[in-house]
Amino acid sequence: MRRYGRVFREFFRACFVEEMEYRSEFFGNFAASFFGVGMALLTVHIFFYQTDDLGGWTYAEVLVLLGIFNMLRGFIDFALRPNMPRLLEHVRRGTLDYILTKPVDSMFYVSFRHLVFWRLIDVALGLGVIGYGLYIERYVPSAVDVLMFLVVMAASLLLIYSLWMMLMTTSFWVVRIDDLSFIFDSFFETARFPGSMYRGAVRMVITYVLPAVLITNTPALALLGKWSVSTVLAALAVAILFLWLARRFWRFALRFYTGAGG
Amino acid sequence: MVIRVSHLHKSFRVHRREAGWLEAVRSLWRRDYRIVEAVKDVSFTIEKGEIVGFLGPNGAGKTTTMKMLAGLLHPTSGEITVGGFVPFEQKAEFKKMMSLVMGQKSQLIWDIPPMETFLVNKAIYDIDDRSFRQTLEELTELLDLAPLLDKPTRSLSLGQRMRCELAAALLHRPQVLFLDEPTIGLDVHTQENVRRFIVDYNREHETTILLTSHYMGDVAALCDRVMIINYGRLIYDGELSVLTEKLAPYKRLEVRFSRLPNISWDEYGEVAEMEEGTVVLRVARETAAGTAARLLERFDVRDINIEDPPLEEVITRAFQEGVYGS
Amino acid sequence: MVRKYIALLRMKYIEMLAYRLATFVWMTGAITQPLITMFVWMNIHPEESESFLFYFMAVIFVERMTSAWDVWELDREIREGTFSNLLLRPLHPIHWAIAENIVYKWLFLVILVPVWMVGAVCWPALRPHMTGSQIGWFLGAVVLGAALRFLLSYSCGLLAFWVTKVAAVYGVIDVISLFLSGRIAPLEMLPPQLREWSEWLPFRYMISFPIEIATGAVRAEELVRGFAIAAGWLFVLAAVLQWLWKAGMKKNQAVGG
Repeated sequence: MRRYGRVFREFFRACFVEEMEYRSEFFGNFAASFFGVGMALLTVHIFFYQTDDLGGWTYAEVLVLLGIFNMLRGFIDFALRPNMPRLLEHVRRGTLDYILTKPVDSMFYVSFRHLVFWRLIDVALGLGVIGYGLYIERYVPSAVDVLMFLVVMAASLLLIYSLWMMLMTTSFWVVRIDDLSFIFDSFFETARFPGSMYRGAVRMVITYVLPAVLITNTPALALLGKWSVSTVLAALAVAILFLWLARRFWRFALRFYTGAGG
Repeated sequence: MVIRVSHLHKSFRVHRREAGWLEAVRSLWRRDYRIVEAVKDVSFTIEKGEIVGFLGPNGAGKTTTMKMLAGLLHPTSGEITVGGFVPFEQKAEFKKMMSLVMGQKSQLIWDIPPMETFLVNKAIYDIDDRSFRQTLEELTELLDLAPLLDKPTRSLSLGQRMRCELAAALLHRPQVLFLDEPTIGLDVHTQENVRRFIVDYNREHETTILLTSHYMGDVAALCDRVMIINYGRLIYDGELSVLTEKLAPYKRLEVRFSRLPNISWDEYGEVAEMEEGTVVLRVARETAAGTAARLLERFDVRDINIEDPPLEEVITRAFQEGVYGS
Repeated sequence: MVRKYIALLRMKYIEMLAYRLATFVWMTGAITQPLITMFVWMNIHPEESESFLFYFMAVIFVERMTSAWDVWELDREIREGTFSNLLLRPLHPIHWAIAENIVYKWLFLVILVPVWMVGAVCWPALRPHMTGSQIGWFLGAVVLGAALRFLLSYSCGLLAFWVTKVAAVYGVIDVISLFLSGRIAPLEMLPPQLREWSEWLPFRYMISFPIEIATGAVRAEELVRGFAIAAGWLFVLAAVLQWLWKAGMKKNQAVGG
């Protein structure tokens, strides 16, 4: 476990140095993150210019949700997204073999080798927005609230990782399409706003078929004190289940890869 | 005089990279630059119909010079004319009379058949129907393209792709052809085909050809004249045979004995290699035949071979030692 | 020149066919954000649901008809060096991009028009009520919008000669465009300050303006003014493109090639 910590740190260092290489880009990225959050806030502001609640959530509550969305997306862009096209390249070119012979777990390597360090700013800004939302709402989360929040956030991260990993694993078969990440993006976009906002048939789809909203809504509700133990446990259970599924799928894909052509 | 290069210089500004956390952060504020002179005071002329080889180790300045000749790079100083045009002005008429084939970068469109790329080129280069048909027929025959034209480029092998690449580059019958590593990565059979094609095509159409290559086979088969560039400077410009004379004025004597005699070889020549029963000697050109005769007389020789020194050796010597009095 | 375009269009068409599946999948990705935004507005003003349905479906339609991804193509070509291949030929590289844009817009048209027609049968809210001249102005505005977006996209793509992550720069512009082109909200729902800006910046004319014509929200004098401003931006962007091209060529010839 500690070794993986060290390996992760090495990935981090290598990518950090690589990022510093492009000077103008660095400041641009910084600015882009701030700008992105600013625009997201502006979007919410524009909606609330015309109304006082969105699916039963107040302006401040939606801000908290937005902050969480930003944090999670920051994590995706930091660790997961950069690796997707690279895995595809590895599969196409057959260079995955090099990775398989390394003494590091291949799934770990493939998911974390390339890190886009500056995306962590998004995570930080997300936290800032959460704080701002809580401030407006005049709600101070209790210690239990925070604990529940952390647990559910961890579950959400695991779930995102698993879903993303499964999507990445399809690269072994779907070699023609360059970058599948937009599938996840579209799916995740629905999580930006409260699930209760959707009506009718769409609500059915959002709740049962593509329940992305749960990934963001549940931690937001937890932090705002509206959690329940059963929900928290369910979230954890689902996350672990999907992690297991992702792992199985990866193993299956590797068997296919090494068996078929090599 | 089709190509004329005079006192050509090209230098780049390259910033220095350092590893490590601190250096990386510091690079955000301050950048150390150094000037790299890729091409230094190069001058040469090439006449119509010549095939000239452009040799040099990696980073010597070959590709940079070629890009300047093709108009992709602007020289820092000096003059170039190709077919009467100044390349970096990138005039349309200039582009119509020349072609650049880069072994690494293909101009064929990846997911569709080469024929489609040909048709696009036909339109872009304003080739009329009749010329196009004639040229295509000729190239298809010379390069054996018939089965390849309708398959998507991505499904062709490297060798097949290179043949189509050459055809695409020659559809508009350019007067000048620049080849940058044309046989790289190709199998021996295809390399020979490509070489034969270039020789035939050059003889038929008097196209002026400048090629860079790492393969001595290319050089030996195609070029009477070579230019050697190292560290940005032109260190040799002349006939290949003359270069061989100068740098490696010896012959290789490969002698196989039924039993290796235990003697000092000094009176016969310099020993290059020795294995069970076989000795390779380096002997001065003039005395090679005589030495061979003596060996045959005095010993029980199974087999004897008199060869020119391998080109690699000649060229490597040129890189390492320079060429004196050229 | 016509013959050259015919050859390019034919080639791009065949190339597009090779990418059918990928294109279709990409298209579905472009639908999510407008749809979600539509649901938000339907939640905010349920009584206006029908007009929101029409509006956001129109956004999807016009957005596809004006879409330009040249910024990413150029970025990749310049970084990978394949751009040099285009420079060696006696045809300005921009024609390749224009040909590709035409082919794909034709494809989107062929897909979206039948889909809209089917949709109009199912949901009366989608049925457009346009006079003949309205349709004419609408189409003109769409073409103008497409040209504007192309010029902007290609210009940003040329920045790749200097900047390594052009996508980030374009990302900023695109986000601003989201607001000012009416993709986050119909422009009349925006706070007055933003509405003011949208009038004078080119983004409105890329997406919202054609839709405003289609819904009849634009009256005669505003129509003329709108086209005038759009045309003005066309000239400005074309000039910017020219300038960037010249500067880019100089830069490329100094270091790249």
